[in-house]
Amino acid sequence: MKHKNAKKYGMVIDLDKCTGCGSCMVACMAENNVPFRKDESNKVLSITWLRVYQLTNGKPFPNTDICYLPRPCMHCEGQHEGHSPCVSVCPAVATDYNTETGIVSQIYTRCFGCRYCMASCPYHARYFNWWDPVWPDGMEKYLSPNVSPRMRGVVEKCSFCFHRYQLAKEKAFKEGRREIKEDEYQTACTQACPAGAITFGDLNNPNHAVSRMVKPDPKHHGRPTNPNAFRLLERLGTNPKVYYLSSREWVRRAGDNYLENEAKYKKTVHQG
Amino acid sequence: MSALDNNAKEIAGDAGSDGGATSSPEINTKEQDKGPAGPVILFFIVGLFASLILGWIIFPKLLYSKKKQPIDFNHVMHMAEVEDGCESCHFFREDGTYSGVPKLDQCIDCHEEIQGDSPDEIKFVEEYVSKGREVPWLVYSRQPDCVFFSHVAHVKVAGMDCVTCHGHIGESESLKIYEENRITGYSRDIWGKSIGGFKKNTWDRMKMDDCAECHRKMTANIERTGVKTPTKRLIDHLVDVVSPGTSMSEKGSSVQTERGACFVCHK
Amino acid sequence: MKIDRRSFLSFLLGGAAGTALSPLPWKLTDDSSIWTQMWPWTPVPEDGEASYVNSSCTLCPGGCGITVRKIDDRAVKIEGMKRHPVNNGGLCSLGLSGLQLLYGPTRVKTPLKRVGKRGRGRWEKISWKDAVSEVAKTLGDLREKGQSHTVGFISGSDRGTVPRLFERFLTVYGSPNLIRTPSIIDSYELALHLMQGAQALPGFDFENANFILSFGSGIVDGWGSPVRMFRANSAWRDTGGKVIQIEPRLSNTAAKSDKWIPINPGTEAALALGIAHIIIKESLYDAEFINNYSEGFEDWKAFVLGEYGPDSVATITGIDSTTIIALARSFARASKPLAICGRGQGTTPGSLNECTAVHALNALVGNINKKGGVFAVAEPDYINWPEVEMDATAAAGMQKNRLDGAGSKKYPFSRYLLNRLPQAINSGKKYPLKALFVAGANPLYTMSDSKAVKKAFDKVPFIVSFSSYMDETAQNADLILPNHNYLERYEDIPTPAGMPQPVIGLSRPVVEPQFNTKHVGDVIILLAKAMGGTLSDAFAWDSYDACLKETMGYKWQVIIEKGFWSYPDFVAGPREESFDTVSGKFEFAPKETGSLKPFKPVKIEGDKTNYPLLLMPYDSIRLANGAMGDPPFVMKSVDDTVLKGTDVFIEINPKTAGEHGLREGQLAMLSTPVGQAKVKVHLFDGIMPGLVALPRGLGHTAYDEYLAGKGINVNELIGPVEDPVSGLDAAWGVRAKLAKA
Repeated sequence: MKHKNAKKYGMVIDLDKCTGCGSCMVACMAENNVPFRKDESNKVLSITWLRVYQLTNGKPFPNTDICYLPRPCMHCEGQHEGHSPCVSVCPAVATDYNTETGIVSQIYTRCFGCRYCMASCPYHARYFNWWDPVWPDGMEKYLSPNVSPRMRGVVEKCSFCFHRYQLAKEKAFKEGRREIKEDEYQTACTQACPAGAITFGDLNNPNHAVSRMVKPDPKHHGRPTNPNAFRLLERLGTNPKVYYLSSREWVRRAGDNYLENEAKYKKTVHQG
Repeated sequence: MSALDNNAKEIAGDAGSDGGATSSPEINTKEQDKGPAGPVILFFIVGLFASLILGWIIFPKLLYSKKKQPIDFNHVMHMAEVEDGCESCHFFREDGTYSGVPKLDQCIDCHEEIQGDSPDEIKFVEEYVSKGREVPWLVYSRQPDCVFFSHVAHVKVAGMDCVTCHGHIGESESLKIYEENRITGYSRDIWGKSIGGFKKNTWDRMKMDDCAECHRKMTANIERTGVKTPTKRLIDHLVDVVSPGTSMSEKGSSVQTERGACFVCHK
Repeated sequence: MKIDRRSFLSFLLGGAAGTALSPLPWKLTDDSSIWTQMWPWTPVPEDGEASYVNSSCTLCPGGCGITVRKIDDRAVKIEGMKRHPVNNGGLCSLGLSGLQLLYGPTRVKTPLKRVGKRGRGRWEKISWKDAVSEVAKTLGDLREKGQSHTVGFISGSDRGTVPRLFERFLTVYGSPNLIRTPSIIDSYELALHLMQGAQALPGFDFENANFILSFGSGIVDGWGSPVRMFRANSAWRDTGGKVIQIEPRLSNTAAKSDKWIPINPGTEAALALGIAHIIIKESLYDAEFINNYSEGFEDWKAFVLGEYGPDSVATITGIDSTTIIALARSFARASKPLAICGRGQGTTPGSLNECTAVHALNALVGNINKKGGVFAVAEPDYINWPEVEMDATAAAGMQKNRLDGAGSKKYPFSRYLLNRLPQAINSGKKYPLKALFVAGANPLYTMSDSKAVKKAFDKVPFIVSFSSYMDETAQNADLILPNHNYLERYEDIPTPAGMPQPVIGLSRPVVEPQFNTKHVGDVIILLAKAMGGTLSDAFAWDSYDACLKETMGYKWQVIIEKGFWSYPDFVAGPREESFDTVSGKFEFAPKETGSLKPFKPVKIEGDKTNYPLLLMPYDSIRLANGAMGDPPFVMKSVDDTVLKGTDVFIEINPKTAGEHGLREGQLAMLSTPVGQAKVKVHLFDGIMPGLVALPRGLGHTAYDEYLAGKGINVNELIGPVEDPVSGLDAAWGVRAKLAKA
């Protein structure tokens, strides 16, 4: 480890608990001044830093099953520190990997809207502002001063509510502390989830709930050792910091885009 | 100005020869037709000086509009009344955030009634206090919305004083004219009084480069000595806050820039 | 001196050089880049001091505690209140987007009076004084003519000080027509009344139950107090609690459950009795409870054993008998089983027999007023106002029968029957409704058979809406007296739906009123004072806030500090005292319900030949379908397989779709005996063949452009079906047909 106190903030989402209610999406929009438009049914254009996808097992009635999968930014670490798909392609230094927190940032004022990062992100976690945001008739009153409203022509995405980290640090400094506690920095979605399905914390800290839940294996780029845990598109080697838990095998398989007759699941993910 | 003159001569000479010996005979012929180079040089100098005057003197006058503060404020007088220096009014809230310019609530304790005979105070009480309106102060150090600056990290953790960035405003008896950049809408104090961007003091400018300059110096100090004296530790704190990790290694925490991560200061 | 071309060029060159040596280009570049990064039209939210205000959310009956983050005097974020007994920090998407309602464009900003034809959306602003005196005059005239009973009041709730003020007003004024909007609570109240002799709300101890048998209740789709249900559901994942979901469609609840058992729609009561059959036959019931605390068990036993053998139940419900037997056994053998009903969010009351059959299952396993079971929770009796004095007009008015027929000979036990109101008005058989007040409800949107409802409303000459928002009912009113938004006012929130212990929440002003609105409680007090006489005497309070404070008494200080008042020592009385029926015991088959007659499924509208399919509305937590519509953020969370542009999707099994020659995304015409609508087709394996499902909560014609004009209001396609015993709406669907559009 280059930095002694480096943190690696990550998230664990328990898909057995997630009910697909959408609270996380809305909490995120409300926290991060996400704009909205009259018609948001075209999901390619609809800016949702965290989007809840519905997965189905594809079986006919009555053996059908569905599962909801909330997808924030994965804050990929890549194969060597910070080699996230988006960070490595950004020509404007507008998106950055912070080795001290493991968070992939997006600086809106540096972004010039080339959208290479969107093309390179395998998770569709990045969104482009095709329009200037417009808040109707007095609604800009609820905008939070902690997050800058974006303008047309820039890319935006989940920041793991980094401003909350900043605020927690400020409070700690005021109280003469250097370190912040686990519960002092929690993302808006984690806090709002009525099912308690989202856990957030430092994956480098074995005392934090996230580490205890997935038991990341540092020798294999943080691959989970909990057999129910998985990461999206693990095989791409993006080394994401968002982990999922599911007791259902079809869900875990769906998480890595396995081809229909591919039977390598156990080998590649759990013993590999 | 001698450098400029040399420059001008060089360019004037070039006009005929385009880099000296290899120029074509055709151009030489033309030059002979038109006679001596005197007027040409004159025009060049006129152009040069006109644009220099435009850029250095007229441009700043056009760029900035002058605005008066809604009421004047005497820092010296108030400093004499308070016990904790700047922090008496520009304090840190319990959550660690910085309160900035005081709100009416803070002033009202003393200024519910008119205290003295200063016309500004009378205006303050009559137009703002009694009407419950906040004073629309023009803030010299207001930064764009994309900037996140943690006062507590600099003041409480790194132990810096206010003067380093804000200068001796606490010793002023009245508020200076607020010069607003017509293009950006921010105060002239961000770029600095000098239109050329030159600065003598740390508080003369508040651009990102000025933050970086200070941070670089601090980092360099640590790397040179490697010894952690109390002062160095203080500096170490400061550097670590603004760009976590830089104080402990040669590289910063940003993968892109290998310096401080962008979003530590940008939101 | 002649300026030739060379001189001119030289001048320019000099100028260029000088410019390059001046700060001008560099400074301009810097400034213009700052300008393009901070467009002046991009809002810059003002920074300030952060503070937090605790309050309660009243957007649904869930009663969640909220903590609102403020920056100076602006509310910037709503979060769930930590350590609140209902939601402990979590919050649903509607609650999270409440600020869009507070600051949103749908607010009614000042009292409005209709100009021109009703519903055309043309209004004039009037002062509060004029508005109140206009209402007082209309009410005074009616009263003088001895027609006080022709005034109706539709309220979203009948509990807490505000609805009690409405009730008090109507009583002293002389009208019996206070009507609460319906839900599954109506059926439960009736079941508790008939079977236990209790005037109480149902409370379910989910936190201590470990085997949930849900007859279509949307545990994670917004049933009961939604966030509490989410939490309970997650707790079962941790503790190994089991959920069995019985419904014909794979709802989110079904998907989350441990076992989903699809059932022929509308046959849930038969399944409950079939389960009872096995439990009785195999003597798996709680004999101690049955022998000591129940009445009528033998009759009911004979009936259940006679009629509901697993094979006949299998035929009715479409669930095979082995599944039924296994289900009965696991339910009865579980240490803390709990059966619940109310389809989806419990939006419609449903069949009373279904409710009593499900409740009887709980009784069979001795699960009444017991840890992990069902409680009859009496309303906390903190509202003790002086008795009202009624004059002769009021007494005469109150003697009249209710227009909706609740409490009549036909439906003696029901308290409110809103579903019967349109028909009562339209038929004109009883008496006309001359004035209608609406508060906390949006009947023109939420009541089924929209056309009939609209027709009935058109017959009422004077409609007053107290809505804070321009909803469908407000749009069709004559006068709008806008209430403060829930973040601008005080209001007590009595026990949230389904809580097993009483809790009183408090909604309090988080921000100053943003517009020229008035607390509905204050308006009622003003109105009473304007009318004088006994009315004015009955409302001696100076303001609603004074009334609330006085009502809460010593509780006020605690509720102000904590945000809620709970009864931690609450225990249901001993079993000997639990039942207030004639027998003093739990009644398995109260004769009033006719529950010993063989099961007949609720007959829904339409015949099979013309309408071969069944249409069922479904509830989604992402689509608010009550008095509130979806704010923009929640609309944004609606999937593109539910709504695309302005088209709503019906869910249909691929098999059924194939039979109709319909493909994914195709437009189709959906017709029912009540109405028809153009819809898009979404193929969904998780729905029983022969069914189509349409979400509730779309098809608004009011509110803002983010909500209005999108999709279909399912109430336009479905009408109410009266339950033979309760008179409540028992419709669970309607017959339908589908054709390519």
